Amino acid sequence: MWVGLALIILLFFLSIYGAFIGAVRAKSFVNRLPLVVYWSAFTLLLITALAVFRRLVRVPSLLLIHLGCVFILAGAMWSSEAGHKLQKRVFGIDKIPIGQMKIYEGYSDNRVILENNEEIKELPFYIGLKDFQIEYYKPAYLYVQTWQDQGWKVPVEIGAEFSLGPEFGTVTILRAFENFKITIEGGNRTAIDDPQPGFNPALEVQLTSPEGEVTTKYVFERFPGHSHSQDKFLLSYHRVISEYISRLRIIEDERIVAEKDIEVNHPLSFSGYHFYQHSYDTEAGQYTVLMVVSNTGLAVVYAGYWMLCLGVFWHLWLRHIVAKRNKKHINGN
Amino acid sequence: MEIKYTVQGLLIYATIAAYLLAFVTTLVAFVTTLVATNLLRRTKIGQILYFLGRILYLLGQILYLFGFAIAVVSFGYRWYHVGHVPLQNLFEVFLCMGMIIYPLSLFSRRFLGVGGYIADMLIGAVVLLPAGFILNAQPQQLPPALQSWLFTPHVAVYVLSYIFMAKATFQAISQLAGKGTDEKLLTPEQATYRMIRAGFPLLTLGLILGSYWGKKAWGDYWGWDPKELWGLASWLVYVGYFHFRYMFGKKYPRINSIWAIAGMVVIIVTLLWVNLSRLFPGLHSYAT
Repeated sequence: MWVGLALIILLFFLSIYGAFIGAVRAKSFVNRLPLVVYWSAFTLLLITALAVFRRLVRVPSLLLIHLGCVFILAGAMWSSEAGHKLQKRVFGIDKIPIGQMKIYEGYSDNRVILENNEEIKELPFYIGLKDFQIEYYKPAYLYVQTWQDQGWKVPVEIGAEFSLGPEFGTVTILRAFENFKITIEGGNRTAIDDPQPGFNPALEVQLTSPEGEVTTKYVFERFPGHSHSQDKFLLSYHRVISEYISRLRIIEDERIVAEKDIEVNHPLSFSGYHFYQHSYDTEAGQYTVLMVVSNTGLAVVYAGYWMLCLGVFWHLWLRHIVAKRNKKHINGN
Repeated sequence: MEIKYTVQGLLIYATIAAYLLAFVTTLVAFVTTLVATNLLRRTKIGQILYFLGRILYLLGQILYLFGFAIAVVSFGYRWYHVGHVPLQNLFEVFLCMGMIIYPLSLFSRRFLGVGGYIADMLIGAVVLLPAGFILNAQPQQLPPALQSWLFTPHVAVYVLSYIFMAKATFQAISQLAGKGTDEKLLTPEQATYRMIRAGFPLLTLGLILGSYWGKKAWGDYWGWDPKELWGLASWLVYVGYFHFRYMFGKKYPRINSIWAIAGMVVIIVTLLWVNLSRLFPGLHSYAT
């Protein structure tokens, strides 16, 4: 038990060290050889404890807790990159542990760029992207700010006039653009919402001073702080993203075998892999980036979670509640 | 530090005031009763003081309940205002803590035989101070990652466990200070254990739900994110506490209490330092 306590304390300090070095370095750190030895020793110690201390087997809740930890550690090692390499070497199972796919709208692909960016592997099926969409919370807002830091949050309602008080006049949003462009026809510049691929959200804003002087401004979401020194206000356009949606289809032997709209928290599971909404084309919204993760070892980890959770609640809560009830029952009789 | 001149701010300040008044009143009641029953026993003044102590105690209870009622209104107001369960950021988490301290206080006393009722009033006021004066109360819409059924249970079980662990810490400090206790209640060392016994399953559930949610949202059940690692570290302190107590608990009861206090220190780091410091950028940065 001394060794167990020492390993727990060591893991505590390793966790804190990992927190200080950041997620990327921590991940690489825990996959190094000394730590692999540590994880293996911890797992072996738990198994040894189950074999040596009879109480851990006799008390079901303690058995669940310790066995749960063994499952979590074993599942995590099995699902790691080193675990995948071992599976390939020993069993010939060649799965992609983790990688990314970039798919353009209307196209399909099966190439996965591995996490280390050094290798491209192919999935045994294709993923097609029907459409990529970003949804926003409504209403969006126009922020109007004076140089003296006085500010207003104006909801984007086309045509509605918003008063900034007697000192500053009014603001009216005339148009909202998804892809703002300027065209020049016959020497005249015209702002249009270009239906061609592109992503340049903007607002056409009319400012009316208390004296009745009218000025028109264009405010761009992607270029905040676009203003001149003689401008009375700083204007910025804000929308909050509510969801990223990739409409996917799985193509196997030139047949569509599955379709799913994936969002954050709603990944696609297919043929031993999970596909997550990871990133997108911020310039033109033309492609999506999916994270591809192998599900190897996941069931073992989840089984460990269930066992650990059940064991802990049973041991620390239920056992005592039942004992208390039995005591009451005996006293009542 | 900033005073919030809003309805939300006023509700928070009213709750803090009620909890603090309840604390002072109950403390005075406690001292008065102690003097009446020990020093002025069987005297007229003693009887009067005892009666006064009972009234003050009752007043303290009413003020505590009143504070809780305002805290419920405050939490409900925030919920209505932001349009989702208000557990998104530190401001909302502290608001929630200030509300649930009362029911947990009652539950601990009634069902677990653990005292610390007066300290709970103070804990209630203290956890509301950051919400009232420091943390940003600007309502925020939920980013895509937080739009999950796991959002509420993951945060809620952590909040509940933190309150239990805070109560455990108070008991641990009482034990180290050599404080005695009411005959009807557990000794501070036993009370510390019972509070940790109540909080640890919730801490475990919070960690596991977070891991499962991480897998659903980001593709990995363990991302080695600073918040995750500090969360694991706090869980490990209590794992260490259970093992140590089992091995040497009777021989070194004071060290059990030091484990419990260390657990709370790590929880405070997990809850505050990781979110507020720039030292730990990570996936949980939106929770500030």
